[in-house]
Amino acid sequence: MGGEKKITGKKNVILSILSVVLLCVLLFPLFWILMTSLKTEQEIFRIPPTIIPEKLNLASYAAQVETGDFNMFQSFANSFIISIGATLISVILAVPASYGIAKYRFRGRKVMLLGFLVTQMLPVAVLLTPMFILFRGMNLYNTPGAAILADATIGIPFSILILKNYFASIPRDLEEAAYIDGCNRFSAFIRVLIPIAKPGVMVCAIFSFLYAWGDLAYGMTFIIDQQKRPITAGIFNFMGQYGTKWSYLTAFAVVTIIPVALIFIFMQKYIISGMTSGAVKG
Amino acid sequence: MKKTRKRLFAYDNVGILFVLPAFVYMLVFVGYPIVRNIVLSFQDVTVRTLTKPDKPFAGLQNYIDIFQDPVFIRSLLNTLIFTVCCLVFQFIIGFLLALFFNQNFKTSKVVRGLLLIPWMIPITVTALIFKFIFGTDVGILNYALQSLGLIKENIDWLTSTNTAMFALICANVWIGIPFNMILISTGLTTIPTELYESAALDGAGKVQTFFKITLPLLRPTIESVLILGFIYTFKVYDLVYVMTSGGPVNSTHMLSTYSYKLSFELFKYSKGAAVANVLLVILLIVGVFYLRATKEENE
Repeated sequence: MGGEKKITGKKNVILSILSVVLLCVLLFPLFWILMTSLKTEQEIFRIPPTIIPEKLNLASYAAQVETGDFNMFQSFANSFIISIGATLISVILAVPASYGIAKYRFRGRKVMLLGFLVTQMLPVAVLLTPMFILFRGMNLYNTPGAAILADATIGIPFSILILKNYFASIPRDLEEAAYIDGCNRFSAFIRVLIPIAKPGVMVCAIFSFLYAWGDLAYGMTFIIDQQKRPITAGIFNFMGQYGTKWSYLTAFAVVTIIPVALIFIFMQKYIISGMTSGAVKG
Repeated sequence: MKKTRKRLFAYDNVGILFVLPAFVYMLVFVGYPIVRNIVLSFQDVTVRTLTKPDKPFAGLQNYIDIFQDPVFIRSLLNTLIFTVCCLVFQFIIGFLLALFFNQNFKTSKVVRGLLLIPWMIPITVTALIFKFIFGTDVGILNYALQSLGLIKENIDWLTSTNTAMFALICANVWIGIPFNMILISTGLTTIPTELYESAALDGAGKVQTFFKITLPLLRPTIESVLILGFIYTFKVYDLVYVMTSGGPVNSTHMLSTYSYKLSFELFKYSKGAAVANVLLVILLIVGVFYLRATKEENE
């Protein structure tokens, strides 16, 4: 139970096999939609079901390129633009804010910190109607801008709460050494502190991206034209219109997962670090 | 050295300049909407008056109305049932997995890492996956249950009022397991191994060690996992909206989906706002516990 002692021999083999079995059970849903997306519509409904596609069918992916209304690659691009926009806003605003909170004891600091903490808990239902009115007033309704601005409100508080710990852990001496070398507050922040906090900035960027990528409510409510909507809203609409066309739907789902899978493969350590810092999803 | 430190302290108020942009952003796009939503819930706003400056005042009427609305009461109960069921299952499974992967065998780290994937998948996709698995004719679950001889006829999981909630809970537990597992795993690593060693020397068994050492020392972790889990589960929106949209016949409406329906499908913006505010108040009450639990950390 201690976790430190390395297990060897027969027990090691048994536990390893058991863990792989657990993995297969828990990740089966993902395997299953990947396989389904490569089957023909007839094969999907076959009983007994085939596990591996009998004949590899890529038509569900290819068809999406051509169809106008539910072009999943267009939706993919929309989602990408929205997510990158939201990530940029989150990081640009959260990096200095978390530094300020970590390193200075100014008036109102606690109130601001509390504000950021509380916004993490807000249900989207509270914000939808007033944001809808706000974006209409700003002439941003039905533009990617609305979704970008709304999605950033999830990334900012999360990023600040994560990053403030990174900045707080940087010793004062490093900052002071920068002053002695002729830096002022702002150049010390940019040249010395941000590079040290880089892993934290990565965590923030990744989570801000993932939050925006997974958003449905904002993208669906603030953007009305299907051609401009993010991929999650695309899937939802597609389900409404062609509810049982599972070959297309699962292909849509697989494409939506691709960026998430890539992030996971290349940046797993940041994800664990972000999750353990108390991330509330959505 | 001492001089620099003093100088820094004197200029502490400069710090606010770094925080202000983010704070103003959040005030505009979150603070203002919250206030606006509260105001909205005391007015009578329809499509016609939504963007007009003069909106009729309604007092507490919206709140009185929703508390007499059986669908609202049902949604409130649904949200509670859903949250409690999800918390129980995802916590127990997550805890067991954390204990399992806390053993240092060959594949422990890699597999535990891979198990985080369900948490990262966009919820819309998760909803689609589970809709597919729970499908009446196409779903693999019905096929599996039939071949095991557990059921004779396919179950309409998502279109029958008795089972739709069960399907939603399964999907949400699948998302929640990694979150519980990884936080408890981290908590486990903070328990010093010497404690286990001396317990073993004193002749304590595994079960005894678990209840006497692991559980009490994990208490802060368990508290924050459960409170965060509550907040996250209680505001569930996407999953339910995509899988059932609150149906069949309102049997799976949650506060969030019902609020959305009132505002954006029935255009009763003020009633929708009132429902959302009830949700908000419940979350804030739970949030106070969370803030208390993490107070030291955020000082």
